[in-house]
Amino acid sequence: MELWNDMKKKRITLHILIVLFVFLSSLSAIAQEQNTDPVMPGESPKPTKYVALEEEKEHLVFFQGFTLSADVFGPISLMVSDYGTLEGALRLNLKNTYLPIVEAGYGQCDKTDFNTSVSYKVKAPFMRVGIDLNLLKDKFQDNRLYLGVRYGFSSYQYDIAGPAMTDPVWGGSEPFNFKGIDCTSHWGEVIFGAEVKIYKNFHMGWMIRYKKEFSSTTSDYAKPSCIPGYGYTTNSTCWGGTYSLIFDLNWGKKKSHKRGVKVEIRDIPQQDENVDGIEQEDEEKIEKEGETDNGERTGNTEKVSTGEANTDI
Amino acid sequence: MSIICGCVVLLVAGCYSNNCPLNNAVLCNYSFYDSQGTAITYGDTITVTTLKPGYKTVYIYRKLGNPTVTKNEPDTALVQQGYTESTAQQRNDTILLNRLTNASTMSLPMSYFHDSDTIIFTYARISLKDTIKIQHESYPHVELPECGTYRFHTLKSITATDAAIDHIEISSSHVNYEGNENIKIYFNGVVE
Repeated sequence: MELWNDMKKKRITLHILIVLFVFLSSLSAIAQEQNTDPVMPGESPKPTKYVALEEEKEHLVFFQGFTLSADVFGPISLMVSDYGTLEGALRLNLKNTYLPIVEAGYGQCDKTDFNTSVSYKVKAPFMRVGIDLNLLKDKFQDNRLYLGVRYGFSSYQYDIAGPAMTDPVWGGSEPFNFKGIDCTSHWGEVIFGAEVKIYKNFHMGWMIRYKKEFSSTTSDYAKPSCIPGYGYTTNSTCWGGTYSLIFDLNWGKKKSHKRGVKVEIRDIPQQDENVDGIEQEDEEKIEKEGETDNGERTGNTEKVSTGEANTDI
Repeated sequence: MSIICGCVVLLVAGCYSNNCPLNNAVLCNYSFYDSQGTAITYGDTITVTTLKPGYKTVYIYRKLGNPTVTKNEPDTALVQQGYTESTAQQRNDTILLNRLTNASTMSLPMSYFHDSDTIIFTYARISLKDTIKIQHESYPHVELPECGTYRFHTLKSITATDAAIDHIEISSSHVNYEGNENIKIYFNGVVE
């Protein structure tokens, strides 16, 4: 019991010591803040005027304009392979950070397999909506690094044809030719891309697209082999890409404007004669400078401003 | 530059791999059960034939002291050996499965362009035969152009005679290349 009482006393003493230590530490910190300029013996401390300091900051306006872009990879793909697209995009620029986008285009696929002689044809429009996020820390620069998502859909009709089907056991033959099979497909995309400024508002950029097919209307006869805007459905996921020519329609709004208060800390002049004498000399000097500048400058010595500076909202 | 090259490789590799089904034969799968529904291995030897529409001409070769030979095509070599050739009209039947022994399952093709298939079971131990009639619909299907064309079937109804079969039922009506059990055949008798 005595041992327990001793321990309790020790614990209380320790708590008191900790509280005292914290209190003294905070007092010394306050004292250090107040006495930033050491006062030499025989000198009286300078009176100081403190003004809240707000640094001059650059802010981006919320709406930064539109971006129009056209893909060049799709048409080239259409020329050299079975599948390609013609597509463009309209993108909003919000604070050069959030970029909602609508992509629309026309996809075409005309494929005949060499081994099976089965052909698949589709021509249809498609649309994607989504948002890109500019990952660059400096939002004022013209280059962009994107991470984005898309939801895509297309409603289309496809034709599929192949060699006549022959029953190997019972015999008989029937042509295999189906036209205008209705289908609607939905898919999602995760996008990573970059674009750089080429000249003024003209940019170029690429995007890598990882696509996942969500659903497609099924038919007894076939499933879509190629979806306009998505690509081949050989697997449930697919990679794609675009290389775009981009034109920023920002009408000069993209550039930042400054907002905030420019503030300086000045010592309040002392009331003794020496200080007055120095101040008078300063004023005379400035007046002389003002005269040499043909009166463009006034003799205003106060650089302390309290209103908004450089606002162009 | 290396990133762009990598992306192009992924683009090409990601979209063009062959994803065709490994089992590309469309067959109707039968499973054998006893009359109580216990899965069994049927001990008798079964030969399965099917009736095909129409008739065919066969060539029959006979020679004294030798077994008769029947061929679908004329054989001049047998004539030179002294066989006498004659022709006859026969049903256009064909063997789907020859001498299946100790099996618990079997797979048979279905007709592409007929609504009904007739299948005949011939047993080694009993002289009677069983006839199974399957009503079905057939339709073409393409999974991917590179995989070719298939003919899928939907089973509508099934009946069977009762020489060795107790009863028969459809377990899955969709006949495709996935290998699901489609028809259950319950043979007479119970496994002890």
